[in-house]
Amino acid sequence: MNFKHKFAFLFPGLFVLIGILIFPIGFMIRLSLSSWDTFYPGLDFIGIENYVRLFTDDSRFWESFFRLSFLSVTTVSLQYIIGFSLALMVWRDIIFKRFFRVLFLIPMMTTPVIMTVIWRTFFHESLGPVNDILSIFGIAPPWLTNEHLAKVTIIIVEVWQWTPFMFLLLLAGLLSLPKEPFLAASVDGAGPIRKFIYVTFPLMAPISIGAIIIRLIEASKIMDTVYVLTSGGPGTSTETSSYYIFVKGLREFQFGYSAALSFTYLIIMIISLTIISKLLVKLLIKK
Amino acid sequence: MNLITENLCFKPEHEYYLNDISLEFKAGNLYTLLGRTLSGKTSFLKTIAGLQPVDSGQITFAGKDFNSIPVWKRNVAMVYQQFINYPHLTVFDNIAFPLKQRKMKFSDIQNEVSSAIKKVGLQGFEKRKIQELSGGQQQRVALARSLAKKAKILLLDEPLVNLDYKLREDLRNEFKNIFSGDLSSQSILIYASTDPLEAMQLNGNIIVIDEGKILQHDSAKEVFENPSNVRVAEITNEPAMNIVNGSIESKKIILNKDVQIDLPDKLKTIKPGKYFFGLRASDIVLDDSGFQFVVDLAEISGSETILHLHQDNLKFVSLINEVKNFNNRDKVMLKIMSENLYVFNEKGNLIFSPFKNK
Repeated sequence: MNFKHKFAFLFPGLFVLIGILIFPIGFMIRLSLSSWDTFYPGLDFIGIENYVRLFTDDSRFWESFFRLSFLSVTTVSLQYIIGFSLALMVWRDIIFKRFFRVLFLIPMMTTPVIMTVIWRTFFHESLGPVNDILSIFGIAPPWLTNEHLAKVTIIIVEVWQWTPFMFLLLLAGLLSLPKEPFLAASVDGAGPIRKFIYVTFPLMAPISIGAIIIRLIEASKIMDTVYVLTSGGPGTSTETSSYYIFVKGLREFQFGYSAALSFTYLIIMIISLTIISKLLVKLLIKK
Repeated sequence: MNLITENLCFKPEHEYYLNDISLEFKAGNLYTLLGRTLSGKTSFLKTIAGLQPVDSGQITFAGKDFNSIPVWKRNVAMVYQQFINYPHLTVFDNIAFPLKQRKMKFSDIQNEVSSAIKKVGLQGFEKRKIQELSGGQQQRVALARSLAKKAKILLLDEPLVNLDYKLREDLRNEFKNIFSGDLSSQSILIYASTDPLEAMQLNGNIIVIDEGKILQHDSAKEVFENPSNVRVAEITNEPAMNIVNGSIESKKIILNKDVQIDLPDKLKTIKPGKYFFGLRASDIVLDDSGFQFVVDLAEISGSETILHLHQDNLKFVSLINEVKNFNNRDKVMLKIMSENLYVFNEKGNLIFSPFKNK
């Protein structure tokens, strides 16, 4: 084939890449260097003023960031533990195995926003069925209006919605494991628990790391759950980074500033997820 | 410390995997379980290890009911046909695995593991991962693991079958050395094999198994010289013993209308009638004074030639002690060494052996 024309075939892909990835990021960076808001809509240039403000005069962003870290690490850990347990359960020969496999996947198949609306109704302080049941024991926790309980509620909803994803990945991993090491381990004197610690878990480590990283990336974008359940409230106690950026950009229309927030957030996420994945590899896969 | 199985039966579907197996294994002995594929060897070993249930029957070891003890408490070591190791661990950790389960002291583990590694000749490979080893080395790791465990019962399920020829020879010799050591006096070693030659070389007790049933249990010499029935004679010889339907009439052995042999003196006590005659492939030799046969297939194996022949409805396999080229449909003259004939009755049971009546 003619050398000159070879690269012409790359253009469709390259065009899409530039169109949907490189241009938006470039534009976001340029936007973050402007003061575009409702009063002065336009791409002026104000240097790194937005970044200075972000690092020196915006504790609300950093608070929302640490809250997000807490929420995503907690939810992903819970999802991993519960998902792994469920996967182990249906991996063994239990009755109605196929039924359970499908059952455990249902939450993932539902629309997150709609399910969150239903959860909000569930947890409604005076009208929700959760408190109806709890009132038998004489308690009615303010699920959505107490700043600590609201976080718990978000965690419950997130875990419910996304554990199936973890379950699916881990079950696929378990099913792909060779059977022989388990045979050998029981002959070599390992009971069920030791077999899990010394054989199942180490063999599952690579898949576990993959699943955890994927879920961490997803979980650090928690926005819809917060938006529907609490709108970041009470006060700002359940505000996550993405929700805060949404508020700054699409509620207060400070486009320039929210672009700076987004870019900073992107950089932090790339760095921290890289560190986390390196740590997980070191921790779970020895040598 | 004897292992006794009584009336073990396992019939998951239509066929018996184990059919009423009653055996006694004594400590300090080597037993070779000889049978074709799907004869129930692996099932039997798995049952002893506790990896497979039985429908009925008892296993007792050192007076204790073995059936009620879970696999991981049985103190059994097993080496499999496939190379089974722990892919995520190093060679050292693989061999140390059973010892760690026993919560031994680390210094003791180190000693045991390094002596096991020495026995199988894997020094210098301790830190390698399993995937970095060749098939033979992987099987040595599995073997070392079973040795380090110092189990009272050692089960070897065709451990050499997936290895190349040279390695098989080497490891078989190593087996003998390894198991003639300190281990042998207290342990029961059960070695499953499809290869009669291997079974004879290991020179222990041979248990011939077929379709889940024990056909004969004797010393290697006895099984070779006096196979109890037609099936045993087939299984314990390579190539399989020729079994021919024929009869003894008027001082002649009649195999078909052309092949008729004078009755040797030793066989004169046998009454005329219909019998199965057994003849080892090596007892059919090229000789111009013999009968004419047609070559169906000639295989050269090492320094020998295996001939598949027929004459009318009579089919033979002959083993010739030299390398010779034959073409298919060649006509050859063969002599049947009638003094080495085995005679089985119509039910297939041995009634005459050339060794017994010498």
